[in-house]
Amino acid sequence: MKVGIVSWGAYIPKYRIRTEDIAATWGDDPQRIIDIYLVYEKSVEGYDEDAVTIATEAARRALRRGNVDPKKIGAVYSGTESKPYAVKPISSILIDALGLPNNVFAVDMEFACKAASDGIVAITGLVESGRIEYGLAVGTDTSQGEPGEHLDYSASSGGVAYVIGKDGVAAEFEAIYTYNSDTPDFWRREGSPYPMHGEGFTGEPAYFRHVVGAAKGVMEKYGYKVSDFAYAIFHQPNGRFPMRAATILGFPPEKVKPGIVVTHIGNTYNASALMGLARVLEQAKPGDKILLVTFGSGAGSNAFVLNVTDAVLERQKADVPKVDEMLADKIYVDYATYLKNRKMIKLFE
Amino acid sequence: MQDVWINGTAMAQTGRHYGLNADEMAARVLEEALKDAGYPEIEALFVASATAEQADKQQMLGAYIASRLGLDKIATYRVENADGSGGAALMAAAMAVRSGLYNCVGVVGVDKPNDVLSNQQQDIYSTATDAVYERYFGVTPAAQAAIMAKIYLAKYEYKYEDLALWPVLMHKNGASNPYAYMRKQAKVEDVLESELVSDPLRLYDVGPMADGAAAVVLCNKKGAAKLLGMWTSTSAIPFNNRPDYDVLYSAREAAERAYRMAGITPRDVATAEVHDSYSIFGVLAAEALGLAPRGGLLAALKSGADLKVNLSGGLKSRGNVMGATGVYQAVEVVWQLMGKSPFKRVDGSIGVVHSMGGVDKVSTVMVLGL
Amino acid sequence: MEHESVPLYWRNIPAYYRLVAKRCKKCGEVYYPPVVKCTKCGSAELEDYQLPHEGELVEFTVLRSVPTDFLKQKPLVIGLVKLGPVKVLGQIVDAMPEKLKPGQRMEVVFRRVVVDGKYGLVMYGYKFRPRP
Ligand SMILES: [Zn+2]
Repeated sequence: MKVGIVSWGAYIPKYRIRTEDIAATWGDDPQRIIDIYLVYEKSVEGYDEDAVTIATEAARRALRRGNVDPKKIGAVYSGTESKPYAVKPISSILIDALGLPNNVFAVDMEFACKAASDGIVAITGLVESGRIEYGLAVGTDTSQGEPGEHLDYSASSGGVAYVIGKDGVAAEFEAIYTYNSDTPDFWRREGSPYPMHGEGFTGEPAYFRHVVGAAKGVMEKYGYKVSDFAYAIFHQPNGRFPMRAATILGFPPEKVKPGIVVTHIGNTYNASALMGLARVLEQAKPGDKILLVTFGSGAGSNAFVLNVTDAVLERQKADVPKVDEMLADKIYVDYATYLKNRKMIKLFE
Repeated sequence: MQDVWINGTAMAQTGRHYGLNADEMAARVLEEALKDAGYPEIEALFVASATAEQADKQQMLGAYIASRLGLDKIATYRVENADGSGGAALMAAAMAVRSGLYNCVGVVGVDKPNDVLSNQQQDIYSTATDAVYERYFGVTPAAQAAIMAKIYLAKYEYKYEDLALWPVLMHKNGASNPYAYMRKQAKVEDVLESELVSDPLRLYDVGPMADGAAAVVLCNKKGAAKLLGMWTSTSAIPFNNRPDYDVLYSAREAAERAYRMAGITPRDVATAEVHDSYSIFGVLAAEALGLAPRGGLLAALKSGADLKVNLSGGLKSRGNVMGATGVYQAVEVVWQLMGKSPFKRVDGSIGVVHSMGGVDKVSTVMVLGL
Repeated sequence: MEHESVPLYWRNIPAYYRLVAKRCKKCGEVYYPPVVKCTKCGSAELEDYQLPHEGELVEFTVLRSVPTDFLKQKPLVIGLVKLGPVKVLGQIVDAMPEKLKPGQRMEVVFRRVVVDGKYGLVMYGYKFRPRP
């Protein structure tokens, strides 16, 4: 049997802020912002949440959904760009939070929003080689944006976790392909609270070149055509980019829309495309093929071809919150609470 | 075995003693108690304090209090059972005299919670909860008291207005006690309109933290009052796994054993001072002492019963003087039995003190008689 | 600068992160907080016991007067939750207190509990929230 996704878990914090409430604070026209980004509201972490707690929740759900014994996990890799510690890994905290064995490869990975998918790639290799039985790839972020700057409308919080293995696979990896280069579209310097970005430069030379490059690469190298896929999922920094990438590649909107969550939770960075994948897996049928393309600034994309198996039906029945349920389960906060929850108000420390 | 008598008593007005160090405040009141006892030679000093390290950065307070009075070469002991330290120090001192080791000892309770900010008072009080399983998570005694109040009120079908009768009675009692911190009467509406601290408990249900010091001198020769019975009991059940939340196990056990030692029944009790750090604890403590049946104290208050409990005003009105509380209570009960100002002489010769540390963790009950 | 004790936090990680209790091997009694010896049958043979991740709300209160570590998180909802054979006392989050009801289904979540200033440790632990 091929290596693939045995189980998955997603976590979206309960709080939301509406685009219009952010716009009202900073004097933007909310309709124009929504037109540009297609983001109506975004998720906000609780005051006591961070990338570690979000990762833990997602990972616990992934283990529960597949009824996977934590002691069988041989690797835990966390992709994030919002580590609570500059030095001290999220992945090591996950070992004790999840009850993983000590004989577990553990490291945090950084490649902007792409790192979590690199965790999947690395774990796939470890499982294929027989070195480990299962691995856990986590994408978690409480991503930053300077208040009032355009990222403030999309940078949000959420997490996903994928158990990768050979036994009980719900979606096999049929092909993996990558496309990377030095493209400075978006960065955050050491010690800087907020990232900087190149506005329009984040589009053509960055997002589209790499996403489309990886998608075309995987299809050409392994012989797939658009009509082979029931779903295509792309990294979603906003609601427009993935739709346009689909158009460039020739995917009809109905194959892309099920994997789009950015419109109602914003860009969860390392959990962005992978949250879309979780939503798709919660509705896919055995035999469906899925194209997944992640993207990280700096820049690069990983493309995956997945083949859904019969085991997905059992996973879909598990008593674990679904992405759609989390999208609907929310408490709206005002901009002041948003700033408080995101620790952006200066306090005595 | 020696009889134990209270030979001297003294207490300071509770409040905000910004101008006094803890050892100084304790030394002044101990000096008064020694004077009251006719300056016997004391061989040991037992100091009750809950906050000395945290509020005043002082350990071995007894040695420094002794220095202020030149009590050289005596034995000094610091006794700590959180806000039940007073009862514990009295118990330890009484045992020392009863055993025959010492003829005369001093007991002084002192705490200065107003030396720190209100949130730091919460930090200190929280150290009386389980540091790992409660305090770490933000649990405070107030939250635990509130959960017990909710369960008690629901179980016995009382309304919050019924519980409000306790602080009203405390303010009535404390209004005529010049040693008290809150010396004004309160109406039920005042209680109902006060801010919520931890629902259902409101500001009037919480004993305000106050600086205070009180002292007694215990000797094996006849004095103002005799220690007839005493017992300390712990409740080893963690808060989260209590079978019942409408009873103070530690108080019930300590009372039963102290009453048995004294050969009395609840009917003999002419006055009692109980540890009502939160009004619900006053109610539960009074029930544990047998002053009302279980679940029946608020019904008694509603029917206008003349309860001789916390004539001082209790922690609500006298103030929560933390580790000094038990010593205050002993002084108050002795003065109530004697009819010493500001207290009128009570109708009977037996008084009871209930001193409690934490939320039903350790209780000491002492039976005092003329 | 005062700092939280690292060993104190570290040694309690199994309880804080995963609610690991103790169970008597002889009579099966479960203890949280753990005991050194079974208080029911006296046996000193105790094993780790994983408490369930879901339970039922027993009672709660909204605490408005909080310790220093929680000053920016007022009010705290403190609740008793029945988790399998024991009850556990802790914070309830992501909830509107007016909608909480004893008996309702709760789930264990993993949250920040204490953050030791700007440079110290971020300390995690369990809290509860209504099961969505
Ligand atoms: Zn046993």
